[in-house]
Amino acid sequence: QGQAQTGPGVTSLFSPAVTSEQIEHLHRRFKQLSQDQLTIRKENFDSIPDLEFNPIRGKIVHAFFDKRNLRQESDGLADEINFEDFLTIMSYFRPIEMNMDEEQLDRFRKEKLKFLFHMYDSDHDGKITLQEYRNVVEELLSGNPHLEKESARSIADGAMMEAASICVGQMGPDQVYEGITFEDFLKMWQGIDIETKMHVRFLNVDTIAHCY
Amino acid sequence: MEVLWAAGQVGALWLALVLGLIVLPSALGISLGISEVYMWVLVKTLEWATIRLEKGVKKPQPQMLQTPTAIGIIERDETPMEKEIARLHRADFEFSHIFYFCRKGFEAIVEDEVTQRFSSEELLSWNLLTRTNVNFHYISLRLTVVWVIGVIVRYCFLLPLRFTLAAIGITSMILGTTVVGQLPNGSVKNYLSEVVHLTCSRVLVRALSGTIRYHNKENRPQKGGICVANHTSPIDAIILTNDGCYAMVGQVHGGLMGVIQRATVKACPHVWFERSEMKDRHLVTKRLREHVADKSKLPILIFPEGTCINNTSVMMFKKGSFEIGGTIYPVAIKYDPQFGDAFWNSSKYNIVSYLLRIMTSWAIVCNVWYLPPMVRKEDEDAVQFANRVRSAIARQGGLTELPWDGGLKRAKVKDTFKEEQQKNYSKMLVRNGSIG
Repeated sequence: QGQAQTGPGVTSLFSPAVTSEQIEHLHRRFKQLSQDQLTIRKENFDSIPDLEFNPIRGKIVHAFFDKRNLRQESDGLADEINFEDFLTIMSYFRPIEMNMDEEQLDRFRKEKLKFLFHMYDSDHDGKITLQEYRNVVEELLSGNPHLEKESARSIADGAMMEAASICVGQMGPDQVYEGITFEDFLKMWQGIDIETKMHVRFLNVDTIAHCY
Repeated sequence: MEVLWAAGQVGALWLALVLGLIVLPSALGISLGISEVYMWVLVKTLEWATIRLEKGVKKPQPQMLQTPTAIGIIERDETPMEKEIARLHRADFEFSHIFYFCRKGFEAIVEDEVTQRFSSEELLSWNLLTRTNVNFHYISLRLTVVWVIGVIVRYCFLLPLRFTLAAIGITSMILGTTVVGQLPNGSVKNYLSEVVHLTCSRVLVRALSGTIRYHNKENRPQKGGICVANHTSPIDAIILTNDGCYAMVGQVHGGLMGVIQRATVKACPHVWFERSEMKDRHLVTKRLREHVADKSKLPILIFPEGTCINNTSVMMFKKGSFEIGGTIYPVAIKYDPQFGDAFWNSSKYNIVSYLLRIMTSWAIVCNVWYLPPMVRKEDEDAVQFANRVRSAIARQGGLTELPWDGGLKRAKVKDTFKEEQQKNYSKMLVRNGSIG
């Protein structure tokens, strides 16, 4: 059994927003998902009924095992993640703090957008191509029999066009838009406040008297 | 030789005390007040322990404990999907849709409503049982001493006592009902069978050190009705039969349970189904309907959730029980987890270790509310009726209502549910004019 073994590196990702009690809660949740093993595999996420409803469920689970999100040097997918990795992924969703300065806020925003970017860029080549974007749209719209594949495609194409116009400006007739790079992605989201949309806030749970 | 004789004397004395102080009063339906004294001592001890804990943790103010565990550990944003997405973007489909689902997905991973119902409720303060203490750190010598005394009391005194009582209760149930079953059918037989059932129930409740408070006894289920309650553990049935006689419904088991079932059915018309019969829903409904139609028969007791839930919420009621017809008498049962956790996590513990845990807890304290009877309205179907009854029970017991099926303890979500959500989302897109 034993305590959650987390190195100092992980808690610094969270500080000062997360208390040790919240990490304990997350650890308990981790143990529940992993069924008391030390690591979680993709199959463990199947036991969450609330997640079944989510159309991009596959992408979310995938994001947990994506090595780019786990801040590892290599590329590709991990087979299993331990608690420290779990916390690393959770850190992308921490809420902003009032006392953050400009530089911190900017870094924060970039991190969250990078996470989202990785979700779209499934072949890990650093660009979101038209096909990858179409995949995402299809997943979001999957399951509706009234929606044909053509409609999903046209939505994706329209959105890519808009992205291209923001990023590259007017394109010549024989110019091909390769795909959205991360810099373009950042440009698209300029001015739009995403920090408050992409966070999970913990309730103040430190009123429970545990035996410490 | 001397030692044996002395041991025999002690044993006889012990048995005499048990019979005189506990079994006899149960037969007569009176209470000597021993359990009240015990509960009072227990409450005082636990209060003292809580105060010591709070001092030990050195909180700045002794704030009264809130109930964060009831709502969960994260703040969930309950804005409906349409509002959230409309807020994020203009009418076109953009990357922003993914935000909403991403966050919902994360919320579900950190904490989901369903899985937490299948593990024991967390306590607000420690109740001196190791099993409810997640991290045991040393606080003070006095607390540890009290804890050790608690262990000795529970395992060396309470456990043998409870075991004796349970043995007496079960044996007398089997013998009593077999004897009564020999009598010819008539009012004498019914009366005696009620006496036997009630006495044995009371003995068994004392075997668990149960303190039960019944509310609104005027709404108690009448003959020819169906009694419906939320399910937390196998002892729910004993809790209810402590106050009245019911006809139980269930599957035939083997072993000791089977012996009890076979004996009791001779005295009282319980409805036991063979495993093969359970599969045929029409057969089950037909038999129950016949039972209910006979107004002289005792009310049936059914737990429509189908499985044990951890007593913080009420899950989906299976509509089968509500198709039988007749009057439904809802009953809400709420256990107080401070004194002992009654929830049976059948995937974690088998029945024997569960009973052992129950018998080494402090006590089983619960409240039972009898709700006014309900009938199905003209324009309601079975599912709506089931939900109406469920809301009434949840509201009375202070439990949350979840639309999920208790079967999710072991199975996965049905595909039909998933498709619903996806359809909603795409319909919304079409409405926003993103397509064509």
